[in-house]
Amino acid sequence: MPKEVSPERVAAIAAAARIPLPRNGAERIARVVTMPVTRLAAANIALDIEVEPATFVAVQRKDARS
Amino acid sequence: MSDPTEMSLADLATAIRRRKVSSAEVTKALLARIKKWQPKLNAFARVEAEDAMKAARAADRALANGKIKGPLHGVPLAHKDMYYVKGKLAECGSKIRKRWIAPATATALTRLEGAGALRLGALNMVEFAFGPTGHNVHTGHVRNPWNPKHITGGSSSGSGAAVGARLVPAALGSDTGGSIRMPAHFCGVTGLKPTNGRVSRANAMPLSYTLDTVGPLARTAEDCGLIAAATMGPDPLDPTTDSAPFWDAEAAKRASRTMTIGIPKSFYVDDLDADVDSALDEAIATFRKLGARIVQVELPDQALVSAAALIVIGVEALTIHAPWLRTRPKDYSEQVRNRLMNGAAYSAVEYLEALRWRGPALAAHLEAIGKCDAILVPAVRVAAPTIAETDVGGGPNADTVILGITRFMRPVNYLGLPSLGVPAGFGKSGLPIGLQLIGRPFRDETLVALGAAFQEATDYHTRAPRL
Repeated sequence: MPKEVSPERVAAIAAAARIPLPRNGAERIARVVTMPVTRLAAANIALDIEVEPATFVAVQRKDARS
Repeated sequence: MSDPTEMSLADLATAIRRRKVSSAEVTKALLARIKKWQPKLNAFARVEAEDAMKAARAADRALANGKIKGPLHGVPLAHKDMYYVKGKLAECGSKIRKRWIAPATATALTRLEGAGALRLGALNMVEFAFGPTGHNVHTGHVRNPWNPKHITGGSSSGSGAAVGARLVPAALGSDTGGSIRMPAHFCGVTGLKPTNGRVSRANAMPLSYTLDTVGPLARTAEDCGLIAAATMGPDPLDPTTDSAPFWDAEAAKRASRTMTIGIPKSFYVDDLDADVDSALDEAIATFRKLGARIVQVELPDQALVSAAALIVIGVEALTIHAPWLRTRPKDYSEQVRNRLMNGAAYSAVEYLEALRWRGPALAAHLEAIGKCDAILVPAVRVAAPTIAETDVGGGPNADTVILGITRFMRPVNYLGLPSLGVPAGFGKSGLPIGLQLIGRPFRDETLVALGAAFQEATDYHTRAPRL
């Protein structure tokens, strides 16, 4: 589980997305996004392999029918 | 006949239909008020006075001939400058879309027009709808009608200010991370963030494919219901609305004495400003008096839900803006550019995990609230701060300030739930305080029923700021 997001990781993902980072951008972004990334990782959410993004709509509609 | 600018949307629509007042008279009165308030508030991006008067006179002629277009016949509205009208400007609060002409009309606007509503113009907004305060370095900040030194909230800043100042009876905003509910709270108006998938987003500027919603700000819950009734339902141009039910007017009148309201034990009640805390206590007492059953609920980890929302909006907003970030990065304000760039930090797996968890997270939320029809929570921890103290630009405090203001917003967006923001008090500073009623999927009508009952018992929504 990552304890923090590194500027190197930010720079690598941004480069892959062909998004130019401003100077010191990687450091700033790494600082800001560490919270959501580490929080989700720490929760270690285990989902069944059948769960997909559209499962949300199924849950939404099931409750509406109840 | 009372001053038409003081009337609610429902009363105005009825008065025009019954020919107690003409659409031209109403439009003229609103235009006069806009002329007085606009220099102070900067709520409008553009006022289309001539077109509005022409449309109003046409509506009056049609009415004289017995032709009523719909329930909003002849009522002038204005909307956030991100709803496209074919052949007209839609600048989205940005430099990048300055002078951009929309190629098609937003379904939501087509439907409002079909219901008979007119357009007074376009309302200012935060650049590309990506900011919670109402600051905008391109168009100028929109100012709070209760005190122009204070923020309106964003990103539907012009919608909140215009409805609050009685410049329009209702306006469309959009809500991806709280952009309807925050201006409603800060400006003392009512706002409905609908269930995701209930109102078409076609030909509205996107920010996040997953989280964007289209909804009204108005004076009352009943008024929000009128706009919802006109705009909700399936639209082939937006497949996420495939199973969207049309508005159920009867359900929107359900008695609150048959309803159960949950009050969370934590997160939403932590570290509240004393005025917000009191407003919440008073609202609970009011709903008790109205016969609603009040129960405590223990929600799943809302900070975790918020974290997932940040990842989804981060990646989707960056993806939408990637072409411009590659070619015109300097044409964004520093804060918006920085916030868009944050999306560059998330991996594909993290993004998809956040999307996959959305269904199970909603199921866990629904299990936690049990039979509750809604939960009642604050909108924001504090009343409106000043423009100066939140003018953090892209500086080191920007993310802390933004996350503080939006703390109670993001779970609703991630879970796709409907939420009604209602005025529920005033702080010692004289600025409004709002609360949120968060409902169950596709039960937006229940929130309007609860909001209307609350507004029958309170008068916060009737108070108006003075110039």
